[in-house]
Amino acid sequence: MASTRELVQDRRDEYAFHDDIVYLAETKRGLSRDTVIEISRFKNEPEWMLAFRLRAYDHFLGRPMPEWGGDLSKIDFDKIVYYRKPSEREEKSWDDVPEKIKQTFEKLGIPEAERKFLAGVGAQYDSEVVYHSVREELTKIGVVFMGTDQALIEYPEIFRQYFGTVVPPEDNKFAALNSAVWSGGSFVYVPKGVEVPLPLQAYFRINGENTGQFERTLIVVDEGAKVHYIEGCTAPIYATDALHVAVVEVIALPGSKVRYTTIQNWSNDVYNLVTKRAHAHERARVEWIDANTGSRLTMKYPAIYLRGEGATADIISVAVAGRGQHQDTGAKAVHLAPNTRSRIVSKSVSKDGGRATYRGQLKVSPGATGVVASVRCDALMLDDISRSDTYPYIDIQEDDTTMTHEATVGKVSAEQIFYLMSRGLTENEATNLIVQGFLEVFTKELPMEYAIEFNRLVKLEMEGSLG
Amino acid sequence: MTAETEGSASTDRGGPASAGRPRAARRGPTELDFELDERLVESWAEQEPDWLAAERRAAFARWRTLPVEANRLYTTYIDLRAAALAAVRPWEAPAAAPEASAPRALPDGAAGLADLSEDRVETLALDEAARAAGVVLDTLEGFIARDEAAARRLLADDRTLPLDDRLAQLTRAGWNQGLVLRVPEGVRVDGPIILRWRAGAPDRALITRTIVELGAGASASVVEELVPSSDGLAGGRQALFSGSLEVHLERGAELAVAGIQDLAANTIAFQQRQAAIAEGATLRWALAQLGARIVRSRVDNRLEGDRSSVEQVEIVFGSDDQLFDLTSYTRHLGRDTTGNLLSKGALLDASRSYMKGLITIEKSAVGTDSFLGEFGMNLSKAARAVAIPSLEIDQPDCRRAAHSSSVGPIDETQLFYLESRGIPPDEARKFIVLGFLEPVVARVPLAAEQDRLRELLEAKWAAGTAGAVSAA
Repeated sequence: MASTRELVQDRRDEYAFHDDIVYLAETKRGLSRDTVIEISRFKNEPEWMLAFRLRAYDHFLGRPMPEWGGDLSKIDFDKIVYYRKPSEREEKSWDDVPEKIKQTFEKLGIPEAERKFLAGVGAQYDSEVVYHSVREELTKIGVVFMGTDQALIEYPEIFRQYFGTVVPPEDNKFAALNSAVWSGGSFVYVPKGVEVPLPLQAYFRINGENTGQFERTLIVVDEGAKVHYIEGCTAPIYATDALHVAVVEVIALPGSKVRYTTIQNWSNDVYNLVTKRAHAHERARVEWIDANTGSRLTMKYPAIYLRGEGATADIISVAVAGRGQHQDTGAKAVHLAPNTRSRIVSKSVSKDGGRATYRGQLKVSPGATGVVASVRCDALMLDDISRSDTYPYIDIQEDDTTMTHEATVGKVSAEQIFYLMSRGLTENEATNLIVQGFLEVFTKELPMEYAIEFNRLVKLEMEGSLG
Repeated sequence: MTAETEGSASTDRGGPASAGRPRAARRGPTELDFELDERLVESWAEQEPDWLAAERRAAFARWRTLPVEANRLYTTYIDLRAAALAAVRPWEAPAAAPEASAPRALPDGAAGLADLSEDRVETLALDEAARAAGVVLDTLEGFIARDEAAARRLLADDRTLPLDDRLAQLTRAGWNQGLVLRVPEGVRVDGPIILRWRAGAPDRALITRTIVELGAGASASVVEELVPSSDGLAGGRQALFSGSLEVHLERGAELAVAGIQDLAANTIAFQQRQAAIAEGATLRWALAQLGARIVRSRVDNRLEGDRSSVEQVEIVFGSDDQLFDLTSYTRHLGRDTTGNLLSKGALLDASRSYMKGLITIEKSAVGTDSFLGEFGMNLSKAARAVAIPSLEIDQPDCRRAAHSSSVGPIDETQLFYLESRGIPPDEARKFIVLGFLEPVVARVPLAAEQDRLRELLEAKWAAGTAGAVSAA
């Protein structure tokens, strides 16, 4: 394996970039009660939202830092800018988007992607949604897809009915921080019985040294409706630490189907601390398809609370941890209703001294009869300076649950490499092929252009020498 | 009962345990209301050699400051609220140990017997062959008096009784009963040696250390019995048993340990079992947990030598509101080591099992084969099975590193098969559950002990299902 290790180097910084943007408004560094009030005033929010933010702020102050998971000691909350507003208003069309921002998006391939596949784009540039376009037909069938800030103003009733109900500010310290200072993110509402024919996509980027990203996404899918939401992230690299603290809430009402796909590729200085949770009501189906390749430390455990009879949860979580990275990821399925089903599949790759940790919970509460659940965790280690941990928590409080759990950790076998090399592949190509195959359970769930992009990302991670 | 969820056991849940006494202030699940009297510890230390006194005092200092659960992974799965130990005091001093008694006291097929009841040594006996081969079975008091150098090496070893474990430090600071079994190099002891502890006298704590050392190439088997003492259960007041089994296996040694825990429902049991396993040595644990109100047990297997191996099979059969809190740590350090761990739990009534297992494969442990399996069967709606089978791996060059876990009801197809053979449904259910727990029974080395364990399991099944029928 030594030869592979020498050949592999991290080249992601070549694909990261940073543009100088003049911000029209921003808060002072650090977090205080005044910062929270200032953010709310900037946005002309209703009183209840300010009260919500302040309640969250108080909880954040009182809540100790988590002592488990990754190393959070280097985060300096006083060095972070909690709000930046790059332009005064939401842009209605591509032509109105400032040139500098447009160039950034072009590097991300948004316009082309939009022409080809996109049903709608909510692109977040720093802390505000600046560009938004929803296809005519989506508007016609009543689908709402817009920035969360805008939705608070335009759809106050549905917003207030669901906001903060899945992830209350008191859930954890970082959910409290997000609740206090959130801005940006996407709001999606799919009316009863409507099937959104194409995936809704949002691109997120961090820009500006020490800028925090505190976006908040709220997805409400009404009875019998169906939607696929995709988020992807890239970020420029900086010497000091960046912080991404997001909250995603999904409400899947009876009979609905929601899939949420994430490809996380923050630069290696970002702390990515995200709370993602869905409520699945009667016969609803929720799927988290989640990949983490970037960041310095990710702590993210997409959760599904199966609240209604017959609901289904499916979570696929993939992590790649390279040099200096700790991917502390996993999944959570909480069965609260009878005849609910869940499946968790986790795949991790660690290399070059990286650490991949699976941390998950499967819980069957009293009254949740007839539950069928499975958890599968596989880890691949590419060298002996890396580390792999598996911490599954299984808590069963019913007598007719059927639960299975399997976990394995291993390396790429010499036989497989030898076989592929005998077919004319280099050792790098062989390793890359095996890793791609190992992650296929994730890749095959992606729309085609994302699958290509993801495989390219893995290849970059694996084969720094090729070019 | 079914409405209760998180940590359903409250201090006074057992009813009689708290009747007629002032109700203790509500405690958190990780708080323990047991006091180890410093003057008592001092009074022992003053009588002991300096090294042992220093050892006791250091352990006492750690006991006072450590948390009950030092591992962050497990802090949410611990519940000591049902332990009401405020009035519980250790026995002041052991009664004088008799000289090893005549082999006539030995059960059929056994090579040795140490029978200790609370603060008394009832029997200490070895058969002729073992004695002639130089096997030592003694109280720790006798061991220190007769071979202080060896006693010091084994008792003052910081690798045994983990320094960050509060209950291990309780045992280390507060023991005043103990046993040692030493088998010299190359000696093979044919019959099992029975180590029997009788505990459960109300308001009393029996705190013990047991050391087992096998020299290079030696082999032996041990049956450890934890049974109620005849004094048990008066007024439902609680008792504490806290004891260790510290195993040292030299090169190529082989040891089989069967542990059968059937303490009374008034007893809180803390168990620490540590094993250091040298090159080519093999340890086999077969552990059955049936009794006590709360069991908090920890097993540490250190696979230090190349090609060392450990097999650990543990069963839990819970009923009423018993809590079985079982942690096992297996550390692979040598090359080509093997770990095979299997835990099975069957839970009746409102009993709970927390099975925590952590396999650590260190960078030095090339060629490891490690498997951990945790399997549960909830037989009642109020039962709760928690499994946390974890892996921490620094060396990917393994033969195998895996765990698996499952929880399920009684298999309907098995039930159907047995019924189609004319076995009544109740009997069929019993067969399936006892069959599920059989792996430990089969590993108990003495036929009489196997029979005793089967009887205990059947009696528990009968009592548990009778309760379920009347409750339905």
